[in-house]
Amino acid sequence: MPDIAIGMGAQDRAERQKFEAEVMRIVRAADEAGLTLRILGSLAFQTHCPTLGHLQQEMGRAYTDLDFAAYSAQSMGVSQLLGGLGYQEEREVFVVTEGGRAIFENRGNGLHVDVFYNRLDFCHIIPWNGRLEADSPTLPLAELLLEKMQIVKLNEKDVIDTIILLLEHPLGEDDHETINMRRVAGLCAADWGLWRTTSMNLPKVRQLAGSYLQLSDEQKTRLASQVEDILARIEAEPKTLAWRLRARVGDRVKWYKDVEEVQ
Amino acid sequence: MKELVRELMHPGLITCRTDTTLGQVALILTQQHVHALIVTDRDSRPVGILSDFDLLAGEWLSTDASSLDAMRKMTAGEMMTSPVDTIDAGEEACAAAERMRRDGFHRLLVTERGKAVGVVSISDFVASLAAQAPSQREKVADVMSRAILACREETPVPAIARTMTEAHFRSVIVLDAAGRTKGVVSGWDLLACCEDESCAGKTASQIMHAPLTIRPDATLREAADRMIEHHYHRLVVIDPERPESVPLGVISSYDIVNEMARPGSPWLA
Repeated sequence: MPDIAIGMGAQDRAERQKFEAEVMRIVRAADEAGLTLRILGSLAFQTHCPTLGHLQQEMGRAYTDLDFAAYSAQSMGVSQLLGGLGYQEEREVFVVTEGGRAIFENRGNGLHVDVFYNRLDFCHIIPWNGRLEADSPTLPLAELLLEKMQIVKLNEKDVIDTIILLLEHPLGEDDHETINMRRVAGLCAADWGLWRTTSMNLPKVRQLAGSYLQLSDEQKTRLASQVEDILARIEAEPKTLAWRLRARVGDRVKWYKDVEEVQ
Repeated sequence: MKELVRELMHPGLITCRTDTTLGQVALILTQQHVHALIVTDRDSRPVGILSDFDLLAGEWLSTDASSLDAMRKMTAGEMMTSPVDTIDAGEEACAAAERMRRDGFHRLLVTERGKAVGVVSISDFVASLAAQAPSQREKVADVMSRAILACREETPVPAIARTMTEAHFRSVIVLDAAGRTKGVVSGWDLLACCEDESCAGKTASQIMHAPLTIRPDATLREAADRMIEHHYHRLVVIDPERPESVPLGVISSYDIVNEMARPGSPWLA
């Protein structure tokens, strides 16, 4: 099993409801303020998987914070909005990340909010320029999948979120309740490193799913089929020249960034 | 175009073995004044092709000491494009031009009765064009690339290599702060960096070569003549009214081949 880390452990229903209610309060307030704010992280998987979201709690997946995606052009509006909702910004994070990320704390309810502007920039870059409008109130399903698949050292919490997503949603070529494979394959075809990590993680998810007693045999079979289909689709996507050149070098040169955790 | 591939090709092969390091490949390319080598196995059979563009990966990915070390250990066999795309020596040259244009190849291995006998490259087409009688065809302005990739003199070399690779450009025009053309950085200039560890710390102005310019109303024949005479693959097209301003575009040997392979071109008549 992967390393057990933050995001795993028992969490009672009341505590989970606190997170779920707060994330929707913030999204609604953003909508009313005309701001494009989308949920990512564990709460996004819970929100976008109403049928199987219960598996998160049953598998020991806990909420730790509220994560959002936004556009940097609206960063001032986001800061004002969260300030009005009782959150205090740790301004130095926004400065250190050159406007790529902002962190807020609410001393009243003890919750922590992370806002990522324009892109997720951890082991690999997942951009969302113009993509936030494709779904609501979460990031589109394709980006949710890649949010997890770009992690080189996949944790159990990431495996659980991915399993739920792949069991709840079919693969497709658009964003309407489907995982947009055109988007997933397109990003993987432009960036060999992202392709490499995604191709490494998907079989890992399939393998680890086999050990969860909470999943039926039928669910495990369906998950394996989804993984196979994604791998086939990203393999079939025509690759860029830079991708092909990078592929020849392969693992000889490190293909991902080490992540420095900002807590 | 009536000529056959065998009449245009560069006969013979300039080769390296699969275990040749990238640094050694750079040395051979420089010494032989070629842009690519045919990679052969122990029995001297062609198994791949390695171009100066492929070597750009060395500079592109050598972002720290560990990746530089890994790249220096890479061999021609690991970095080459394989298998090699071939064309029969008896095919018409226009068929080769059409394939190169369609598939984005810069060169093809020429075979005769299954045996490799030479290489036909963009430069061979340019040479053929230069040898033609005065042409009635279009001017430089009609076929030049009007979108150019440009950088400032102080731009670091790794940033240039990365952008060229990502944007699929083979050269970058170096401009000063006022937009005047100061030089050109091509894959050829970056090749030197494969042998020079200090190159990653250098800037465009330190590795660029002097630009060779041409007017937009010059003929393609004049452009080809100038390329052949100076052994340049591209010319910077300047505005004759305002020669100090940002260039109008770039015309490369590939643009000329592209024109030759265009439907309706006299080369295909």
